[in-house]
Amino acid sequence: MPIIIISSEAPAVEEQIAARAAKALGYKTLGPEVLPAIAAKHAIPEAKLAESLGRTPTPWWRRQAKGRQQYLACLEAEVLDRLAPDNIVCWGLAAHLYVLGVSHALKARLLPDNARLAEELAGQRGVTPHKAAKLIEGARLKRSQWSLAAFGQNELEPSMYDLVINLGQIDPDEAVGALTTAVGYRKFQPMTYSTSSLADIALAAKVKARLLGSLSDIRVQARDGTVVVTSKALKRERRKKTAAIKSLAGEVPGVNYVEVHLINYVIRAAAESFR
Amino acid sequence: MAIITISRGSYSMGKAVAEQVAACLGYTVISRDLLLDASTRFQIPEIKLIRAIHDAPGILARFSRSQQAYLAYIRAALTERVRDGNVVYHGLAGHLLLKEVPGVLKVRITADLERRVENERRREGISAQEARETILRDDQQRRGWTRSLHGVDPWDSNLYDLVVRIGALTVADAVSFICEAARSEGFRATEKSLQAIRDLALACRIKAELVEEFPALGITCQYGNAIVYTRDKSAGGDRLHKRLDTLGKEIQGIFNLEVHSSEDWPPDAV
Repeated sequence: MPIIIISSEAPAVEEQIAARAAKALGYKTLGPEVLPAIAAKHAIPEAKLAESLGRTPTPWWRRQAKGRQQYLACLEAEVLDRLAPDNIVCWGLAAHLYVLGVSHALKARLLPDNARLAEELAGQRGVTPHKAAKLIEGARLKRSQWSLAAFGQNELEPSMYDLVINLGQIDPDEAVGALTTAVGYRKFQPMTYSTSSLADIALAAKVKARLLGSLSDIRVQARDGTVVVTSKALKRERRKKTAAIKSLAGEVPGVNYVEVHLINYVIRAAAESFR
Repeated sequence: MAIITISRGSYSMGKAVAEQVAACLGYTVISRDLLLDASTRFQIPEIKLIRAIHDAPGILARFSRSQQAYLAYIRAALTERVRDGNVVYHGLAGHLLLKEVPGVLKVRITADLERRVENERRREGISAQEARETILRDDQQRRGWTRSLHGVDPWDSNLYDLVVRIGALTVADAVSFICEAARSEGFRATEKSLQAIRDLALACRIKAELVEEFPALGITCQYGNAIVYTRDKSAGGDRLHKRLDTLGKEIQGIFNLEVHSSEDWPPDAV
């Protein structure tokens, strides 16, 4: 059975549509309620995990922090694991940004009724609707910047999704109907290769989460238990770093073989040559 | 009785979707023939209109009188053709040219780049590299055109009611979604929405008639009462008033036509 991943600028919209679609299909939901369990399992402060997910404002100087990348990698690994059984509607966990290349995942973006949101915000904050609309637009752009910094994907890009539905014009019931209809199409049924793809990206995420605990600047790809790790290193560090990566990655269940590619750390090498 | 606009990048299967939606709903399809309409009516070579609506204007051209005039002609032709509803328009900027009209279903069809490259390669018999370059150049032109003239990114999902990616979803799936949405309550024609499109068509017609001679005017229309806005403190002068007198007699549906001299124009002024 397919996976449905729902994304929206408005968490309340995500939750509402996800719940209704899950009910209509008899699926389970997977949402931010899993964050405490994920935080506990990986010994991450829950508040920091939520902050990394972009749901709370992050000062710009913390956006690139190493810890943040690791928290996101842990989140990615845990969510991908939970998506493996299928029959799930996932929301509020940014899955649309890292479930890539999995053909049985239907990705939908729901645009809230911006006029109504602006009115509500204007009432809450005591500002004009025009000012409220500007605030909403500002938040939207910040979210786009966050998605690029966190996962290298712009979540405002419509080509990321199979369907984008504007709830300002299309009734939520019809949106749910469109999702439940789409998910029945043949191309969204799990096939051997698509479940393998999901397993591969889940394994890559687990290895990445493991490695980011002590290393930085790591890219991981996986296929059928073979993991390829790419990173940067100075010449003199290569052997030691390769060994460390192989040892850490090899501890992750499901990893059969680790290949390490280390790119010359040009900038550091240049900096050190001036010493 | 809906009006549906379908925007698409080149080779995104948008044309096929538009034609099948029209067949499914029993609607008329409008596209390039609109330009021929405008060309005939306003005596402008079709190629100039194609360039006006396709090529991103340079900084100077953006404000040129001819660019403004061509867009006014295209808009007048479009609003005239859609005024009775039951229409699918696929072409550039339908969602922007009709943005003031309530109940227009605005759809965008996307497809991933590799699929589009393959479609173009097969259709034009060119290499994948050439196809890719053509598509990327075309996308850039369209994006630049929309940005420079309307100040918005055409790829921004918020401009549309529905965006469908052809990939896992087929053309038939997209057609099904669009037809379902078009039949829903929110997009059924009401007396209010039909009057709004008639008023817009009238405002655009007046604009098109005046734009060559009086480029800096804004026009609004409500129930046939048209107001011409000008920033000229003399309210346009005798020449404008004489022209409006003539237009009031020539164009059917105008009940009243007056001039307002003002710095602030309504946001929906054409």
